[in-house]
Amino acid sequence: MSTNLDAAGAALALRRRRLTRRTVVRFAAPYTLIAPALVVIGAILAYPLYYLVRLSFQRYGLFQLIAHKGSWVGLHNYGVLLHDPVFWHTLVRTIVFTFVNVALTLVLGTLVALLLVQVATAIRLMITSALVLAWAMPVVVAVQLWYWMTNFENGVVNYVLTELRLGDFIGHDWYISPTSALGVTTTLIVWGAVPFVAISVYAALSQVPRDLVEAASVDGAGPLRVFRDVTFPVLKPILLVLTSLSIIWDFGVFTQPFLLLQSRPNTDYYLMSIYLFEKSIGIHEYGLGSAIAVVMVLIMLLLSFFYVRQMVRLGDVK
Amino acid sequence: MKRRISVALCLAAVGAAAIAAGTMGATKKATASSITVWLQVDAQSAWPQSVALANDAFAKQHPDVTVNVQYQTWDTHLQKFDATLAGGNTPDVIEMGNTEMTKYMAAGAFADVTADKGKFPNSSSWLPGLVAFGTYNGQLQGVPYYAGSRVVIYRTDYFKQAGITKTPRSLAELTADGKKLMATFAKDKTFSAFYVAGPDWYSAISFVYDFGGQIAKLNGGQWTGTLDQPAAIKGLTAYKNTFLALSRASKTQDEAHPFPTTPFAQGHAASFLGPGWQYGYALDPKAGNPKLKSVISAFPMPSHVAGKTMPAFAGGSDLAIPATSSNKSLAEDWIADFTSNDSEAGIVKSGNLPNSTSLLHLVVGTPGKQLAQASTSGWFVPTAKNWTNVENANVLRNMLTQILAGKKSVQAAAASASKQITSMLNAST
Repeated sequence: MSTNLDAAGAALALRRRRLTRRTVVRFAAPYTLIAPALVVIGAILAYPLYYLVRLSFQRYGLFQLIAHKGSWVGLHNYGVLLHDPVFWHTLVRTIVFTFVNVALTLVLGTLVALLLVQVATAIRLMITSALVLAWAMPVVVAVQLWYWMTNFENGVVNYVLTELRLGDFIGHDWYISPTSALGVTTTLIVWGAVPFVAISVYAALSQVPRDLVEAASVDGAGPLRVFRDVTFPVLKPILLVLTSLSIIWDFGVFTQPFLLLQSRPNTDYYLMSIYLFEKSIGIHEYGLGSAIAVVMVLIMLLLSFFYVRQMVRLGDVK
Repeated sequence: MKRRISVALCLAAVGAAAIAAGTMGATKKATASSITVWLQVDAQSAWPQSVALANDAFAKQHPDVTVNVQYQTWDTHLQKFDATLAGGNTPDVIEMGNTEMTKYMAAGAFADVTADKGKFPNSSSWLPGLVAFGTYNGQLQGVPYYAGSRVVIYRTDYFKQAGITKTPRSLAELTADGKKLMATFAKDKTFSAFYVAGPDWYSAISFVYDFGGQIAKLNGGQWTGTLDQPAAIKGLTAYKNTFLALSRASKTQDEAHPFPTTPFAQGHAASFLGPGWQYGYALDPKAGNPKLKSVISAFPMPSHVAGKTMPAFAGGSDLAIPATSSNKSLAEDWIADFTSNDSEAGIVKSGNLPNSTSLLHLVVGTPGKQLAQASTSGWFVPTAKNWTNVENANVLRNMLTQILAGKKSVQAAAASASKQITSMLNAST
């Protein structure tokens, strides 16, 4: 609190002083120091984004790629996109997929975090190590392992399920239907995402005031009531952050579904990222692909808008 | 005073870092003392000695030029090529599949080598089919490299065990023999008498052409998909029946995941239909089973008409020089070395067909004889500019998965695939 007052006082004092060279250097120094970083970020993020939007208004196929020059077509790419039934089916499928993934990730992550609070230190260390190992595994390696595990001819999942007498799974093809295939993809993505959520929520759980929890249980509240009324309000900020991040990640996830489905899935299995890939790099039409990317960015912006607004609101109310 | 000095020092450090970062970005342009060659992994695993021969011969001609050979996979090499076309550092020689050539030639990706045709060995006796797919508007842009065909590779011991005394000479005989094999090896739940991956369109469309159908027809400048015509439907139905009776392969995974040689080497398949190089690959010490050497043999895929062979996919590769390469003459020399008689001999030995009729005498033994027989009747994809789009969108694979998984009837799946093919092939550039 005291530092706020000091800073405010200093700023006021600065404004009142005459514009000396010393003042200018003091003012300019912070901006000069961050200037290189800003230039780099501008080059890496802003310029490609501008070029992407520009490309979405052009026809840029193989012919144009070799000539290094696109031909202007205005909103034609967007028109093609919005009239494509595959786009709308894929959008709906991706929204459902995102919803399922985010829900599972957050619920399972929170449950694991709650478990971590309860168990003994040794067990907690073991669980945390397992979580970190799962999280640290490179995505492509993880996908390859899951692909082998669920392989219909030699996969260990089929073998184990048959041995457990849960039915005859020998030769069962997990990718025969979109629901089954996306189910396996969901399992893989949730498996990789739960560690981050669990560890973040576990850290947040340390902020729950112990005396409040004890008081509530003394008053006769069951564990669910305690969670709803004491724990959850404290977790709200972190859960909000994790939800928004998960939505953004799971909406645009590409590696897992693309590689699990052997790089060239049927349109019934499409998610937005795969649709984007197939419509741009798959058929050498980079203008159309850019249009899809811009639409995806707009959808993400919409989601981020709500996230940022909530964060700002949370900052006001303490 | 102290603060001023520290601020100044920070500014200086940041400025120096910025300048250093700027200069570090500058890279040296590739000098003319090296050329880059892109070949497929087929060359790396099946005929590396031919590549070595070519490099040695090239080194003798140009001792100060290094050859940088990079191996690509069929799935990703076009994406990588596109990236180099956009960036400007294309390879000097690139191997392209026949089906991929047309679109890139139409877009002006390759250099015209018509004037230097005489440089290449046996250019006057190149197989006409191969030359056709390397030529665009009268310009030669792709040098034929090798041709492929497909045969049935089988295990003589399994056939003997099932009481089959001679190889089938018609599709009906193949089905009957297959059923005998399935009965003999009923204990093995993953056994296939005739292993073929469900979405393997190279095999399935062979059935279509065998019954007189085709993928698409060109009429007055417009393409029409013809898989929904009665002849093609008969072929697809025959394929469906053969698959459901004799193959336990996946209905969703294609013919490269896994290669049929894998279940064959593990003893779960009595036969499979594959390109010639898979004969040697099935005996590979790492990827196959060398112990099968004494019991492996081949026969051409029989047609539904007794005594004839089913048309086999006439695949093959060309070697092209990207138009933006600055080492055209060196690239041509390398291609000439790689398609020399000695090099072609090595490629033929691995189970392929040479690029010229004058080298056909090199095709001997098994599976060479059967390949040569199979190649007498072949089929190829529509020579349309946009054919690669159809392949990339997996139209044929998806159609086959829908048919085999029972999601759509043969007629419905073929009709929808035909419609897609029509619209894709006629799409304007």
